[in-house]
Amino acid sequence: MKIFREIAFAAALVLTVGPVAAAEFKPSRPIEFIVHTGPGGGADVLARFISQLVDREKLAPVRMQVNNKPGGNGVTAMSYVVEKKGDVHAIAIFTGNWMSNPLLQAEARNTVKDMTAIARLVIEPAVIVVKSDAPYKTLADFIDGAKKAPGQLKQSGGSITARDNVVRQLLMKSTGANWAYISFPGGGERIAALLGGHVTMMVLEPQEAGEHIRSGSMRVLAQVSEKRLPGFPNVPTLKEAGFNVPNVAQVRGVLAPPGLTPEVVAYYEDLFLRVSRSAAWKKYLDENQFEDGFQKSVELSKFFDEYTNQMRGILKEAGAKLVR
Amino acid sequence: MDILNGLMQGFAVALTPTNLMWCFAGCFLGTVVGIMPGLGPPATIAMLLPLTFQMNPTSAMIMLAGIYYGAKYGGSTTSILLNVPGESSSVVTCLDGYQMARKGRAGAALGIAAIASFIAGTVGVVALMLIAPPLAKFGLAFSSPEYFALMALGLAMVVLLAGESLVKALLAMLVGLWIASMGTDLFTAVSRFTFGNSEMLDGVDFVIVAIGIFALGEVLGNMEKREEPQMLPMPKGLRNLLPTREELKACRFAFVNGSVVGFLIGVLPGAGSTIASFISYGLEKAVSKHPEKFGTGVPEGVAAPEGANNSETGGALVPLLTLGIPGSGTTAILLAALILWGLKPGPLMIQDNPTLFWGLVASMYVGNVMLLVLNLPLVPLFAQILKLPVYALYPLIFGISIIGVYSVSGSLFDTWMLAAFGLLGYAMRKLDYPSAPLILGLVLGDNMERALRQSLMMSQGDLSILWSRPISATMLALTVAILFLPLLRRANAWRVTAIKENG
Repeated sequence: MKIFREIAFAAALVLTVGPVAAAEFKPSRPIEFIVHTGPGGGADVLARFISQLVDREKLAPVRMQVNNKPGGNGVTAMSYVVEKKGDVHAIAIFTGNWMSNPLLQAEARNTVKDMTAIARLVIEPAVIVVKSDAPYKTLADFIDGAKKAPGQLKQSGGSITARDNVVRQLLMKSTGANWAYISFPGGGERIAALLGGHVTMMVLEPQEAGEHIRSGSMRVLAQVSEKRLPGFPNVPTLKEAGFNVPNVAQVRGVLAPPGLTPEVVAYYEDLFLRVSRSAAWKKYLDENQFEDGFQKSVELSKFFDEYTNQMRGILKEAGAKLVR
Repeated sequence: MDILNGLMQGFAVALTPTNLMWCFAGCFLGTVVGIMPGLGPPATIAMLLPLTFQMNPTSAMIMLAGIYYGAKYGGSTTSILLNVPGESSSVVTCLDGYQMARKGRAGAALGIAAIASFIAGTVGVVALMLIAPPLAKFGLAFSSPEYFALMALGLAMVVLLAGESLVKALLAMLVGLWIASMGTDLFTAVSRFTFGNSEMLDGVDFVIVAIGIFALGEVLGNMEKREEPQMLPMPKGLRNLLPTREELKACRFAFVNGSVVGFLIGVLPGAGSTIASFISYGLEKAVSKHPEKFGTGVPEGVAAPEGANNSETGGALVPLLTLGIPGSGTTAILLAALILWGLKPGPLMIQDNPTLFWGLVASMYVGNVMLLVLNLPLVPLFAQILKLPVYALYPLIFGISIIGVYSVSGSLFDTWMLAAFGLLGYAMRKLDYPSAPLILGLVLGDNMERALRQSLMMSQGDLSILWSRPISATMLALTVAILFLPLLRRANAWRVTAIKENG
C-alpha cells in the first residue's frame, strides 16, 4: 500500500511540477555545492562565501550546502560531478586544476568537457616579486641576471601545473633565459623561502604581496594581469614591461553535472550573474584584489578549450608526460 | 613596558563578557572536536567561518584560536583511553598513554596530559608575546637543507623507538616511508603507487594509517585473549584517578622539553605539531635514566608529546601574525579568515591592529586556564569508559574508528583502507614488529624527500649544501650521535658485565 501511495505521490508531483519546470526552472531543495578541497582550501572558502552571500541577500529560494569531496587532486570531485548526471540541484567550483590535472593523470576519467559550464567568476591576477635587497629593479634586470648565470637563479612555487610555473615557462621561452623552479606544497613555505633569501623570485597573489611591499620586505617587478591593478598603479604589466607572453589567467568559476536542460543552465547563469553584481561580491573582489572574470556558459565552454590547449602546449614544453 | 601596556590592553579586550563567552565557546568546541577522532580543527574552523563574517574580527579570532588550541587538549583523550588517536598530533601519546591506562592509571595519564597541555600552552603564549618578531626571523633562516636535517634527526629517533629488534624497527620504518611516497609527486605531477585508483592520488591520509594500526590492530590482537573478561583494572576513588606526586615529579623535565621543542618547531613553517610531538618524545627518551621503560606506560612519555603539541600552537601563530605566513593547515585557514574579515595579514598587522594581537594573546592565557578547569573534572568521567566490559568496549572502538576516518573525507575507499591497515597492525603485533617506527616513517617521509629534492635543486645537485650550512650541520651531527647511542649503550652494558665477571 505504502509503495502505491508513493508512486501516486510521485506521479502527482511530476504532473504538477513538470510543465512548470519546462517553462522556468527553480530549485526546490537545497543546492549541493561541491568543492574539490577539504574545508579551508581556496575553493572551499569561496564556496562558503558564495553560499553565505546567496543566503543573506536571498538570491535563491533555497540554501546552498557545501559538500567537500577532497582527494585525487580534484579527480574525486570531478568524477562525483559526472556521476550526478541530470541532477539539477548540484553545482561545483572549478579551478584551473580541473583543466590541467587530467592532462597529466591517467587516473582521471573525466574532463571539464564532460560537465555543464555555468559561469566563470574570478580571475586572480598575480605579481612577480623579489626580496627588497635583491639587485633587480625591473623584470628585465632579473632576466639579464638569469641569462648571465643560467640555472643559478631560483623561483619558489607550487606544483609544475601551477600558474607560477606557467608564467616561468612562458618567460623563459620568449627570452631564452633559464632559471630553476623549486616546488613547495604550501604558500607559506614559498614566501618563507623568498624572505629567507633561499630563492630569488616568486609569483605571488597581490593581496599577500601588498603587505610585504608596504613593510619594505619585498619589491614588485611586474604584474601578471591584463591591465594594471588598482593596488599597483606604478608597476608595469608583463606586456608593458616588454615581454610579449600570453596572459595565463588563474580562474575560478562554477560548473554543473552533465545532462542539464537549457532552462536549468539559464537559471544558474542568472543566479551567478546576480551574485557577481552584488555589493558584497565587489567588496570580496576588492579585498582580495581579484578581477571580475564573469563569463556566461557559452563563452566559458569555449574558454575551457582554449585554456586546456594552452596548458597542453606549456606542459609539453616543460617536459611533462601528457596522457591526453 | 610596551609589552606590559599591550598585555593590559589585551586583557581589557579579552575579559569583556562577550569575548570571554567566545573564548569559552571556542575552547569547548575545540575540546569536543579534539576528542572526536577524524574531524580536526581545520575542518571545524572552515565550517564555522561563514558565521564569523558578522562578528567583530577580534572576537572571531579569539573563538577560532580557541578551537585550534582546545583541540590539542581533547586529542589525548581517545589516545589514552582507547588507543585511537584523536588528532594526528596525539599519535605519540598512544605509546605510553594507552599503556598507562592498561595499568589502571588512565586517570593519571589524562590528568598529566591536561597539566602538560596547560603548562606548555601557557609557555607557548608567553614566548609568542615576548619573542615573536626575532623568532620569526630565525624561522626564515630555515630552508630545505635545514628541514632535511630536522627530518633526518626525527628519523634517527627510530633507534629510540625500536623495541627488542632494531632490524624489525627499521623494516617497519621502511614500510612507513613507502606509504609516505604514495600519491602524486609534487615536483613532476607523476602519480606513484596509486595502482590506478584516483582515490590514491592525494596519498594515504596519516590518520587512517594511525587509527588502523594502533586502534584496530590493538583490538584485533586483544580479541584473541578470550579468557580475560574484564581487561583493564580500575582503581576506586577520585584520588586514585589523578596523577600522584611522584608521577608529576617524573614529568618535570618533560614539561620543559615539550614546551620548548613544541614552540620552536611550531615557528617553522615547514614542520607541524605531529613532528614536534615525535621529536620531544624522542628527546625525552634519549635523556631519560630509564629509556627501556618507555612504551610501557611512563608519565613522561605522555607529558612530553602532549606539551609539545600545545606549545606548537603558540609557535605556529608567530609566522602567521608577524609575517602573514601560514605554517600549517589550521593557520592557513586562519589566514583566509583574516583576509575575509578585511584585515591585512602581513608584517604590519600587529602594528596596524594591536587590539587584535594583544586581545588574542590575553585570551589565550584565559583560554588555557579555562581548558584546564574544563578538562580536569572530565578526567574521572572519561576514565569511566574503561569500566565497560570488552564486548561493549571493542565494538565502540571499532565504531569510533570507522566514523572518525569516514568523517575526514566522506569516502568509503578510506574505510576499506582503514580495514587493511587494521589487519596490517594486527599482523605486526603477531610478528612482534613495533608500530611507532612505521608511523614515524610515514610522518617524516614525505617532508624529508621533498626537502632533499628542494635542497639539491637549490645547489644544482651538490650534496654539500646539506652540511655546509651551520644549522643543518649541527642537526646532522646530532643525528649521527643519536644513531650511535645504542652502540654506546651496548658497549657500556658489555663493559659492566665484563667488570662483574672479573670481580
